[in-house]
Amino acid sequence: MNLIAQTLADGLVLGGIYALAAVGFSLIFGVLHVINLSHGILVLMGAYLALIFSEALHIDPLLCIPPVMAVLFCVGYAYQRFLIQHAVDRASVNSMLLTFGVALMLQNAMIWVFSPDMKSITPSYAFTSLKLGPVNLDAVRLSALAASLILLSCLAALLRFSPLGRVIRATAQQTMAARLCGVNVRHVYALTFAVSAAFAGAAGIVIGIILPFSPNDEGGWTLNAFVVVVLGGVGSPAGALIGGLLLGMVSTLTAQYVGPAFPNVTMFLLLVLLLLVRPNGLLGNAFAPSR
Amino acid sequence: MKRRDVLAAGLGAVALTAPAVRSSRAQTKTLTIGGSVPLTGAAAETGLNVNNGYITAATYINDVLGGVEIAGDKYKIQLKLFDDASDPARATTLIQRQLDEGTDFFLGSFGSNIVLPTVAITERAKKPMVQTGGGSDAIFTRGFKYSFGMFPRATRQFAAASALFKTLNPGPSTYSVVYNNDAFSKTAAEGVRQSCDAAGFKRLDSFELPAKVTDVSSVLASVRANMPDMLLCVVHDQDSLLIARQMVATNTNVKLLYQGLGPQLASYREALGKYSESILCSTYWDEGVPYKDKFFGDAKKFTEYYRSKFTRPIAYHVAGAAACIETYVMAMQAAKSLKPDAVRDALAAADFETFYARIKFTPDGDGDPLTLGGMIGQVQKGKLETVFPEAAKTAPPVYPAQTWDKKA
Repeated sequence: MNLIAQTLADGLVLGGIYALAAVGFSLIFGVLHVINLSHGILVLMGAYLALIFSEALHIDPLLCIPPVMAVLFCVGYAYQRFLIQHAVDRASVNSMLLTFGVALMLQNAMIWVFSPDMKSITPSYAFTSLKLGPVNLDAVRLSALAASLILLSCLAALLRFSPLGRVIRATAQQTMAARLCGVNVRHVYALTFAVSAAFAGAAGIVIGIILPFSPNDEGGWTLNAFVVVVLGGVGSPAGALIGGLLLGMVSTLTAQYVGPAFPNVTMFLLLVLLLLVRPNGLLGNAFAPSR
Repeated sequence: MKRRDVLAAGLGAVALTAPAVRSSRAQTKTLTIGGSVPLTGAAAETGLNVNNGYITAATYINDVLGGVEIAGDKYKIQLKLFDDASDPARATTLIQRQLDEGTDFFLGSFGSNIVLPTVAITERAKKPMVQTGGGSDAIFTRGFKYSFGMFPRATRQFAAASALFKTLNPGPSTYSVVYNNDAFSKTAAEGVRQSCDAAGFKRLDSFELPAKVTDVSSVLASVRANMPDMLLCVVHDQDSLLIARQMVATNTNVKLLYQGLGPQLASYREALGKYSESILCSTYWDEGVPYKDKFFGDAKKFTEYYRSKFTRPIAYHVAGAAACIETYVMAMQAAKSLKPDAVRDALAAADFETFYARIKFTPDGDGDPLTLGGMIGQVQKGKLETVFPEAAKTAPPVYPAQTWDKKA
């Protein structure tokens, strides 16, 4: 019984992190219809920036979330406006090739700047744990889960209640109608990408305090985001959360009861099954009903 | 690592891989040695160490010694090393291209998954490869005659550690083993099981992790449910750190934690801080080893020269890689020839003392378990001390380890 509770708690924590890491990917895919293969690089940029800020300013890495999100917001805006939009204008498949190329280049740039060595962010509570009944939870994972849930809620509120969120939703649902209403669609696309990049950066910080990281990890985080989006559905924080939690639970339950080497097997099995049974994901496309 | 460090390594590699400009002096010839190294991708961290080791030896021989004399002629070494991006497919293409261009001698990449397919190609072409990056049994059990490795095969690498465990008094009696699902880790875990079972330790569990690990909570929950005296992890650096961090955070205490790769790295010890105390690992070299060497003189002088060239911390892979080049040169001098077959025979008969170790290979091409077998290191006061074997010991082993909360 204790083992089941521990496994479910571990799955919940892991799932929350997967969800945060995937939500930006989901939003870009839902609004811009762009598969951003450089998503993992944005996540790692967040982790490296947090490492730099927290070491330079001697502050808790989670306090670096606002400045890191601000930096990545700007990077994301410029990246979409000056590179991706041009590729999309020519042919939509170009954006995939472009983001793949950018990912390769930036990965090597990161190796150049930061070295290929593993890095880790060690907050003061890195080795503290809490005991909730039979369940043992380490403080970094718990704080990472809390940060993930807060950030996902903030994004959901932003999309639901803010003028920017309304414009993003309107553009995603009826691009032409939004344009006719005077919405600067290119600007909205760039803003959406910027918001997504900012959340990818925040996810990088959360990941960085839990896992050692190196430039080579970028592909793994892009792949995880892809799986989460396929499982949960496109375009909404809720879809990312459902997909992330499902992936986290499946991973830990498989590791515990089938074998630690098998989470990837069950993860992709689930992916194939869901693509056959419910190709739009569990919550479907958040912007589809109005299309 | 500093940017200058990467720059130096990168420029070194580029300079050395540039097309050869033969010396204008008629008496100095060029000895070309090819190969690939992972400067990017998953294996880049250690790949960079291997690359730096190759460059250190070649630069020293060329610039400080003015070359080496083989069969009456003076040679300078030209390295043709390319980045294989930790990708076996790319590595095989690079090696095949070099073979097509007429390269006769090869240095190995890092990682059994890369070394194995590349060594199969050089073997087919009957060209020697000396490497310090692949320890999987699969490299040494296929009847290859032209492949030589600086480590004993993976299943023989744990003998020193289990011998150390036997000397502890009162000693451990049970163990569990954790490993990745990849060529090296799986055979290394087999070596752990063979050595520990033979030494009379009782195995409680074996945990196979995926090649890429993001969470070991479930494994640690199982470890706590069936607590061994020793937790023996033969996983990669990044996974070792993850396991140790999660062990601390979940208060998973064992009397002895051994992590084959990880504690050797300064970055690992910095990340864990005082919690890295008493963790054991394998090490194959340190700058205090007593061997003499006809090129550098000894390990200390090698280290000094390395540090004059690179700011990246020295690791045993650097020394092993430099020793690969020394071994080639000494084999060529012994063979009095640069014919691949003659050099292969000299390598097979090698019994050379270098600053790294006494170089001797088994008939299958892996390192002799006695002369090239590992030492055991333990983190003590933030430093990696050698605790086994007796001859190389710099500090006595600490056992049992303090619990994590006492280390805090």
